[in-house]
Amino acid sequence: MKLRFFLSKELKKYPLFFLIFFFTTLLGTLGLIGISLISGRIQEKLQESANELLTSDISVSARREFTVIEQKILFDVLSVYPNDHYHVIDLYSMVSHHRKKSSRLVEIRSTQAGFPFYGEIILRDGEFNNQELYISQDLADQWEIDVGEILKVGDVTMKISGIVVRDSSLGLRGFSLAPRIYFPLEKLSATGLTKPGATGSFAYHFKLKTFDPNNIKDIKSLLLQRIKDSAIKITLPTDASEQTGRVFNIITNFMALSALIGLILSLVGVFYLYQSHLHARLRDLCVLNLYGLSKNTIALGILFQYSIVFFIVIAFELIGIVPLYQALAPTLSENLGFELGKAISFWRILKDLPFLYLLSLLILLPLILGLLRTEMGVQIKAQKISLGRFRFYDFFPFAFFLWIFSNYLARSFRTGSIFFFSIFVVFILSIALVKIGQWSIKKLVNGKGLSLPFIEFGIALRGLMRSGHKLTLSFLSLAMGAALISLILQLDVMILNEFLSDNKKPSLFLFDIQEEQLGPLVFLARENETPLEFITPMIRARLEKVNGQKFIKKKQDYDFRSSEEDEADRFRSHALNLTYRNYLTKAEKIVEGASFPQKGSSDRLPYVSIEKRWASRMDVSIGDRLTFDVQGVEIEGLVRNIKEVKWTSFYPNFFVTIEPGVLDGAPKTFLATILSVPKEKKLSLQRASVDKFPNVSFIDVEELIIKLTNLFTKSRKAIELMSWLSLTIGLIILYGLSHDQVYRRYYDLALLKSLGLSPWRLRINLLCEFGVVFFTAVSFGLLIGWSMAQIIGFEVFKLSWSIDWERILYPFLLLMLLCLSTILIASWRAVQSRPRELLSDI
Amino acid sequence: MSVPAIIMNNVKKSYGSGETRVEVLKQISLEIPVGDSVALIGRSGSGKSTLLSLLAGLDRPDAGDIFVEGENIALMTEKELTQFRASKMGIVFQQFHLVSTLTAIENVMLPLEILKIPDAFHKANNLLQSVGLSHRRDHLPSQLSGGESQRVAIARALATNPGILFADEPSGNLDEDTGSTVMDLLFQMVEKTKTTLILVTHDQELAQRCRRIVHLEHGRFV
Repeated sequence: MKLRFFLSKELKKYPLFFLIFFFTTLLGTLGLIGISLISGRIQEKLQESANELLTSDISVSARREFTVIEQKILFDVLSVYPNDHYHVIDLYSMVSHHRKKSSRLVEIRSTQAGFPFYGEIILRDGEFNNQELYISQDLADQWEIDVGEILKVGDVTMKISGIVVRDSSLGLRGFSLAPRIYFPLEKLSATGLTKPGATGSFAYHFKLKTFDPNNIKDIKSLLLQRIKDSAIKITLPTDASEQTGRVFNIITNFMALSALIGLILSLVGVFYLYQSHLHARLRDLCVLNLYGLSKNTIALGILFQYSIVFFIVIAFELIGIVPLYQALAPTLSENLGFELGKAISFWRILKDLPFLYLLSLLILLPLILGLLRTEMGVQIKAQKISLGRFRFYDFFPFAFFLWIFSNYLARSFRTGSIFFFSIFVVFILSIALVKIGQWSIKKLVNGKGLSLPFIEFGIALRGLMRSGHKLTLSFLSLAMGAALISLILQLDVMILNEFLSDNKKPSLFLFDIQEEQLGPLVFLARENETPLEFITPMIRARLEKVNGQKFIKKKQDYDFRSSEEDEADRFRSHALNLTYRNYLTKAEKIVEGASFPQKGSSDRLPYVSIEKRWASRMDVSIGDRLTFDVQGVEIEGLVRNIKEVKWTSFYPNFFVTIEPGVLDGAPKTFLATILSVPKEKKLSLQRASVDKFPNVSFIDVEELIIKLTNLFTKSRKAIELMSWLSLTIGLIILYGLSHDQVYRRYYDLALLKSLGLSPWRLRINLLCEFGVVFFTAVSFGLLIGWSMAQIIGFEVFKLSWSIDWERILYPFLLLMLLCLSTILIASWRAVQSRPRELLSDI
Repeated sequence: MSVPAIIMNNVKKSYGSGETRVEVLKQISLEIPVGDSVALIGRSGSGKSTLLSLLAGLDRPDAGDIFVEGENIALMTEKELTQFRASKMGIVFQQFHLVSTLTAIENVMLPLEILKIPDAFHKANNLLQSVGLSHRRDHLPSQLSGGESQRVAIARALATNPGILFADEPSGNLDEDTGSTVMDLLFQMVEKTKTTLILVTHDQELAQRCRRIVHLEHGRFV
């Protein structure tokens, strides 16, 4: 009965409050619900196609052919479980087309009978078998070639037997280095492409005759125990889907964090709304308390009322999101480069709902505690009624849970924590800036008249100087929205600049050059007027020991893996490519330690230079002794320095560089680049090279950059959408705050009018007061966003510092215009009304 | 013969519309000479505050003319009226209505600065001194008691030396003693500055202190 009071009477009595509350919560949760839906759909799709992606129940692979012993262990372990199997080799190599006189890098997949166990390879005409050459539709489109034409793959020429129109094992690739062709495994060795040093993957795939997920896990753990070499990788369907989904996960996690900012802003709004609401009706609550409703019941009623509105919002969203999602799905699919489909899983949304609900409740905790601390008996007699004070530690549960939620959404402890502490720092900086601003205004106006420089501004300055926490809230909501927009816009331009602005970026990247091919290739390139640059040896090695101790690979079977665990696992592999040289490329910078001396010495161990992230993941530091296995020979070196590498430079970069001398005679291949040259020269070199050096692969860096830029542009649009949603929430909250502040000062405005300020002068006064807040908050937000973009750009993408004034100025002007319009709209009625309400008995 | 401070002819005012329309003032007329003090009394809802709002230019009549110091404020534009009110009238409100973000002295300086009257600080300081509040001049309204707030409001209302002072239940929000002290001050100041006073009150005793009492009932003078 008592609770029913809150539901029926209250909703009727305060319709505007509930309406604003409804929309604030709606917009705040909409972003997260939407993201939850999209990421859920991606996960579902990945799970649905997990087996198809791998093509089998379990795959065991390496970047080299398996040794006889490894093969024996593998088949021994699998022999316990009746199975079918096949071998698959994937290589990257150049292929050429005689009629087109053109060549390009492709992914060559060579399979045996039975492939694929799961999924399908559909040809435009005919049936797939493992004895023919098939090319993908995109390669056919690029070259405008068809069935029956001849391709040269390595040393073998073969007729195209079909065009692959659907390949379920390609999965949801956001990005691929090269189009795929299918080539018979039996003929692969004849191509000459499988020489040592070739870039590829050698895999055995198994399908159990009686499938049991537990058996699969047992097989995996048994293989991990028996095959000690970390170069051997065991993949289950779930791992395959996780890997394929990584790009999408990064995008959706980033979008989720942007949406979380929207939610935080809306919660700031909800907090403020409820504070004003409770304050406005505190006397009613005191009366209820006087007539027997305990404070606990009142608090419970408020929470209940809040929960009802919250769940109405969620129900509204769940109903509305189906048509909305179905309308947006085609555009979203196009932008993500991934077919989302129109089906919706409500379970995914419902799974996140308890988090969302708890977070929303916890923001009210300080107010509820304040209410419980209110001495209602005293308040009812007081002239000025006031809610019990809340303490700063009342916010701790909310802050703690926000941190947990950030980690959950980012699926990363590091990213989630950085996000949380960034928000915290922005919050603290906002408070500090507001306080410093107020102190500065106080110094400025101290002892001066009101007309500083004109009366509207003078009054505005005093309003700012003496405003309380509401000023900080307005500042914060706007600054955070502006920061997010600025972050996205600046990061965007930094990444695009990085890819597009460097004229000295290589135009072609060559790899798999055999030692004996180097001389003739250098000659050929010079003849073609496209000289090879940055010719760099590449040696396949394995990290065996650190300071004389066997390097232990810590590989685990995770049920839930964070982004860091994924990355660490990839890094922790023993196998690596390294080089020897005693100079740094333009893309390298020593961050710790000293560079190699010009001359080596036989009296000491050769020096080693290691990449910063690799050092951190392998837990190796300066002064450590590293022992590498190079083709069965142990080479020991001393870590001399740690370097940062700009991987986007497309120069031949390595995690590990060893001082020249000790590795000079080791078996190796070479990498090289060709600087920007005309397209015709580029093509002629590739044509000539494919004939003479079929195993040498070329990556067209310009083509790659276009692909990367397209991929980035697509994901950027989705992220930008989230940022604008957050900013819209920020503006709505700002509207609410401005509206409330204007109406709290309704009598002040009426009085100023009665004393001679016209409505337009009053508006100037408000524009001055709020304009100062907007100006500083937007500037601060844009600056913070820019700084964060520089930090993320440098730390994550290794990008150079940059500033794009247009992307600061235009959002600044737009935001100022939006904010000032907001205040004009919010105050319109209050300013326009006549001041007769000032009198007592109207 | 000097122009009367106020002449009101056949003024009508009503609020609401349709069935809820209430006629608050029913074609009333009044003349108040310069320097006079008039108490407007009547029950709640009799229309006295509405009348005050029309005389002070805070609202407009539906019909009739209101001449203040010889000028018909019913015909003035909003801008003219705002300017006229600022220079010719002072108002003291029951709820004090001090600007919450300005200190006591800034509140008194406010009308002076709006009219760009020079030396606002010293004039405001002198006024605060004359109401006995120079020691509280840098305090915000939230730091002042009710009586102190009303004294600041009186100082502010008289800052521009207005010809007419309107006072709307000035002691209505104060306890008896404080109210009495504040009213003594108000009458003293009005006497000293020869200002015309129009006082709205429920309090018969307070009304007796004015030279003339006008009784309003159901929108008419009785």
